Amino acid sequence: MYHERNQTLKATIMRGRRSVHEDFWALDDVSFDVPTGSTFGLIGSNGSGKSTLLKCLANIYHPNSGSISHFGSMAAMLEVGSGFHSELSGRDNIYLNGSILGMSKKEVDRKYDEIVDFSGVEAFIDQPVKNYSSGMYVRLGFAVAINVDPDILVVDEVLAVGDADFQAKCMQKFADFKRDGKTVILVTHDMDTVSKMCDNVAWLSHGKLLEVGEAKPTIKAYLDSVTPGAAE
Amino acid sequence: MNYVKEVLSSRELLVNLTLREIRGKYKRTIFGQLWSLANPLALMLIYTIVFAFILRVEPEPGDPSGLNVFAVWLLCGLLPWTFFANVITSGANSLIANAGLIQKVSFSRIVLPLSLVGSSIYNWLFEMAVLLLVLVIIGSFVWPWIPLLLVVMLLLAVFAAGIALMLAIANVYFRDTQWFLGIILQMWLYLTPIIYPASLVTAQSERIGYLFGTQLTVDFLYNLNPMAHFVEIFRNLLYDNRWPDPTEWLICALWAIGSLFVGVVVFRRNERNLAEAL
Repeated sequence: MYHERNQTLKATIMRGRRSVHEDFWALDDVSFDVPTGSTFGLIGSNGSGKSTLLKCLANIYHPNSGSISHFGSMAAMLEVGSGFHSELSGRDNIYLNGSILGMSKKEVDRKYDEIVDFSGVEAFIDQPVKNYSSGMYVRLGFAVAINVDPDILVVDEVLAVGDADFQAKCMQKFADFKRDGKTVILVTHDMDTVSKMCDNVAWLSHGKLLEVGEAKPTIKAYLDSVTPGAAE
Repeated sequence: MNYVKEVLSSRELLVNLTLREIRGKYKRTIFGQLWSLANPLALMLIYTIVFAFILRVEPEPGDPSGLNVFAVWLLCGLLPWTFFANVITSGANSLIANAGLIQKVSFSRIVLPLSLVGSSIYNWLFEMAVLLLVLVIIGSFVWPWIPLLLVVMLLLAVFAAGIALMLAIANVYFRDTQWFLGIILQMWLYLTPIIYPASLVTAQSERIGYLFGTQLTVDFLYNLNPMAHFVEIFRNLLYDNRWPDPTEWLICALWAIGSLFVGVVVFRRNERNLAEAL
C-alpha cells in the first residue's frame, strides 16, 4: 500500500526514493482445499480479499509466501470481453478472445456455432462490437469464456449480467459443469446463488479466512455477522 | 529452454494479437494500408528537397551499380530506420497500453511487445516491396541480393525486439521512458548516416585527428552506433549491389543477439510483477 508513489524520474530523484509504502496484507494465512468436482463459493464483504484471492488462483498475482497447486486445466473469468477490439467484428473478437483465454483456433472453430448461439447475437456477429449494446457485448464475452471448457473454472462476480433469459442459460451451463464433474470456484454477493449452487463455501474478512466448510452453515455465519440479531 | 516452450505455446495468441494490431490500425480510413507508405514518402520528399537541392549533399554513386539517385539512396537507409523507431516506440508502450488485459488474464506477457514487432514487420515488408520495385525501375540489379536482404531484415528485427522488451519494462516503472525515447530517437536519426553519407564524418574525423590525446577518433566513436552498420549493409545490398564487408555482418549479428539476450533476461525477471506494478 503506497503512501507515496513516484512513477516518474523527476519525482523519484526529487523525493529521493521510489515510494513510501507499508505492507498491507490483502490475504493473510489463507489455506483451504477445494474438492474436485465441487462448486466452491467465496463470500465476504467488499475489500475482504476475494478478488485478490481469485487473481492469485488465476496466476495473475503471485503470493509472497505459500503456494497454490491445482490438477487439471484452469480458466478464469475475471472480466468479460478481455482484449476485445472495438473496431473488429464480433466474429474476429470471438477468435481473439478465445485465444487470449487459451483456446486454439481449431477449438474455437469447433465451438463457434455454440458460442454464437449461446450469446444470442447471431444477427450482428459481423458488425464491429462497438455497435453492440452493453448487454450484447457482455453476453458475447461471457459466451466465449463459458465455452473454454476447463477442468477448473474460476469466476468473479460476472454472473449478474444479461437479461433473465440469459441468466437462466448461464445457470443451466453451470449446472452442466457440475454434472460433468468439473470444479467451479465462484465469487458472488448473491447469497441466493451461493446457497443454490455451492457445495462448500469460504468466508473471507479483511484478508483472513474466518470459516470454510459446508455451504449452509457458513452462509448463515456470514449473514449473522452482517446483520446482527436479524431473523434467519 | 522452459521459457522458450512457454512462449511457443502462446504462439497462436501472438498471431492473433498481431492481426488485431494490423487490422485495427487503418480501419475506417479511406487509403487503409497505403498510409504506412505515406510517412516514409513524405520524409523522403522533405529530406530530398532539403539535403539534395538546398544543402547539396552528394553521396557517392553506387559501387559497382552506378546508381546516383539521392531519393532512393535515402530511402534505402530511411525505411529500416523508421521500422526500428516504430518497433521500439510502440513496443515500449505495449505493456502500459494493455494494462487492463495484464491485470485480468494470465498469458505469456512477452507476446504483447512481440505482437507489435510482428505488425511493424508486416508494414515494413510492404514498404520494402515498393522500394524494390523502384530500385528495379531505376536499374539496380537487386534480385540476387534479396535473400541476404531478408537476413539483415531479420537481424534488425531481432535487435529492435530486444530493445523494445527492455524499454517496455522500464516504461512500466518510469513513465518518462516513452518521452525520453522520442528525444533520443530524434538525436539518433541524425547520428546515423541516413540523410548524409558516412564519408562526411570520416573526412571531418581525419581533419580533427585524435581526440584530446587519446587513441580515439571521431570516426571510431561514430561507428559505435549499431544502426550505422545496419544501414551500411542495407545500402550495400540495395543501392550498391555488392556483398557487404564481413565485419559489418559480424557487428550487426552481435548487436542483435546481445540485445535479444539482455531484453529477454530483463523481461523475464520482471514479468511476474507486472500485474501489481501497473
